[in-house]
Amino acid sequence: MAIIDIKNVTKEFKVLNRREGLKGSLKDMFSRNYKTVRAVDNISMSIEQGEIVGYLGPNGAGKSTTIKMMTGVLEPTSGEILVNGCVPYKNRTRNAQNIGVVFGQRSQLWWALPLIESFKLLKDIYQISDSDYESMMSLYQSLVDIEPLLHKPVRQMSLGQRTLSDILAAFLHDPKIVFLDEPTIGLDVSMKAKIRTLIHALNKEKKTTVILTTHDMGDVDALCRRIVIIDHGKMLYDNDIEHLKSFFGSYRTLKIRVDGELEKQTQAIQNQFPDFSVSADEEEEWISVLVDEEKQKVLDVLSQLQKTHRVKDMQLEEISTEEVIKKIYEEGVQ
Amino acid sequence: MRMRKYLALTRAGIIESLQFRLSFVVMVIGNLLYLIVVYFLWKAIYASAGTDVVSGMTFSDTLIYLVLATALYNFMEMYAVWEIGRNIQTGKIVLDLLKPMEYRKLLFWSYSGTFVMQFLFTFLPTFIVVAIVTHGAIPMGINLLFFGLSVIIAVSINYSIDYIVGTICLYTESIWGINIMKQVIVLLLSGATVPIAFFPEPLKTIVHYLPFQSIYNAPLSLLLDADPQPQKVLTTLGIQLFWCVSMMILSKAFWKASLRQITVNGG
Repeated sequence: MAIIDIKNVTKEFKVLNRREGLKGSLKDMFSRNYKTVRAVDNISMSIEQGEIVGYLGPNGAGKSTTIKMMTGVLEPTSGEILVNGCVPYKNRTRNAQNIGVVFGQRSQLWWALPLIESFKLLKDIYQISDSDYESMMSLYQSLVDIEPLLHKPVRQMSLGQRTLSDILAAFLHDPKIVFLDEPTIGLDVSMKAKIRTLIHALNKEKKTTVILTTHDMGDVDALCRRIVIIDHGKMLYDNDIEHLKSFFGSYRTLKIRVDGELEKQTQAIQNQFPDFSVSADEEEEWISVLVDEEKQKVLDVLSQLQKTHRVKDMQLEEISTEEVIKKIYEEGVQ
Repeated sequence: MRMRKYLALTRAGIIESLQFRLSFVVMVIGNLLYLIVVYFLWKAIYASAGTDVVSGMTFSDTLIYLVLATALYNFMEMYAVWEIGRNIQTGKIVLDLLKPMEYRKLLFWSYSGTFVMQFLFTFLPTFIVVAIVTHGAIPMGINLLFFGLSVIIAVSINYSIDYIVGTICLYTESIWGINIMKQVIVLLLSGATVPIAFFPEPLKTIVHYLPFQSIYNAPLSLLLDADPQPQKVLTTLGIQLFWCVSMMILSKAFWKASLRQITVNGG
């Protein structure tokens, strides 16, 4: 049986229509002018025990809202959610025993206390037995160098150390499901790698189901076999990452900076490569060319560009989530 | 075993408050300044009244009452409204809601460590000083036991009221004004700033039917009563217990009904 089962779930919020300026704000004091915003629109999915699912979408797509419904904090407007066989918002406290959460920008640890005290507290709150606790701690010790962190107050930790600690805290009571909401946000490359390895190892060791939301395709590549993409509350994609890669794996974004007027040059490059989409970032004066390597190699494109333009600077990027979504919109995948 | 998770929170609270040593010093000094103000204010009131006894209380009766009320306030005030409001505004409440424990209990027991510390470091010293300085104005007998019971009930009533006001923050998403209003109402109507004996008759009657007087007036009157009559003690504790249970039910129901309102910032 699926550990998470979501059927036709919709979540609507009522928000007050705010007006502009002082006068508008005063009017708003007495206004009953609400509009309904549909944050999540008819989503269905089913997730099996032990999966790592990448849950992607741009900011405001409805990712966090879905997660809050799965954890039981929010009640869906319509539709059905079953987590571990029960309805989360009706059994929030019981459900909490089976899930762990990490919200990248917030910490569940006790700010003023050393990490070990937070762990001991969680041990008592989740009623973890001594032997389970010991075996979890020794597992942690084998995975990361946790010793120097244990006696450090959380408020003195760096963001990376804190995120690492938060992830360990979320897994401590051996939950069936762990929700990771942008765990690698704001971290440097080496810390990101460390955290990915940790998540991967814990998933493998404990068969924990992991739902991961992120904007970083690197996270997805390293961890997820399956991804779900939503935008504007609607589900766009739910399938293997391989399937998606076959569509987008050959795409690279080539960013260049050239002499001359930005707009004119962008147009010129677009004319030169009519097959690829060319766009200009006016703030940073980059021109990006989305190159499909099956049609033409990036290096070819670059050398061609160097013949016609004076290239001052260049960057090569993997396709980003935003571009994937844009592409899905334009072409459709499923 | 069931108590263990709560006591773990108490323990953490004690460790946590020990991390902020300086705040203790500041609190004791602030407390002292307030008491000096109270002393001179009431001295002036009694001087202008021209008699030794006002509303059935002598100057030293009033002072003892108010000093102990202040000590009790410092110990019982748990800033729960503030905490709930801030958790809602920052969105941290999501993490608290996802603990396998009722939020009401989580918040209370998280604060309980500070209770213990406040009791040991502000209430107890004040109590001892008052007892010594006034040479036995505080009777030492069975009344201490009644007082203890009464304070425990008072803490619960106070928390329920805080929790109800905190729940309002789910709707308003702002704290400051609501918190100030609550504080003024509770402190005034409970008899913490002015002894209830001084209230005009109509107000006294109204206050009598409100839960607030059970928070400060009830325990203090039990404490200062040298010759407790069983009937009076039972009535006082009975009324307190009634408010304790009904406010608890009300606060739980209100919270449960309001939780649907939650939108959680940053969603």
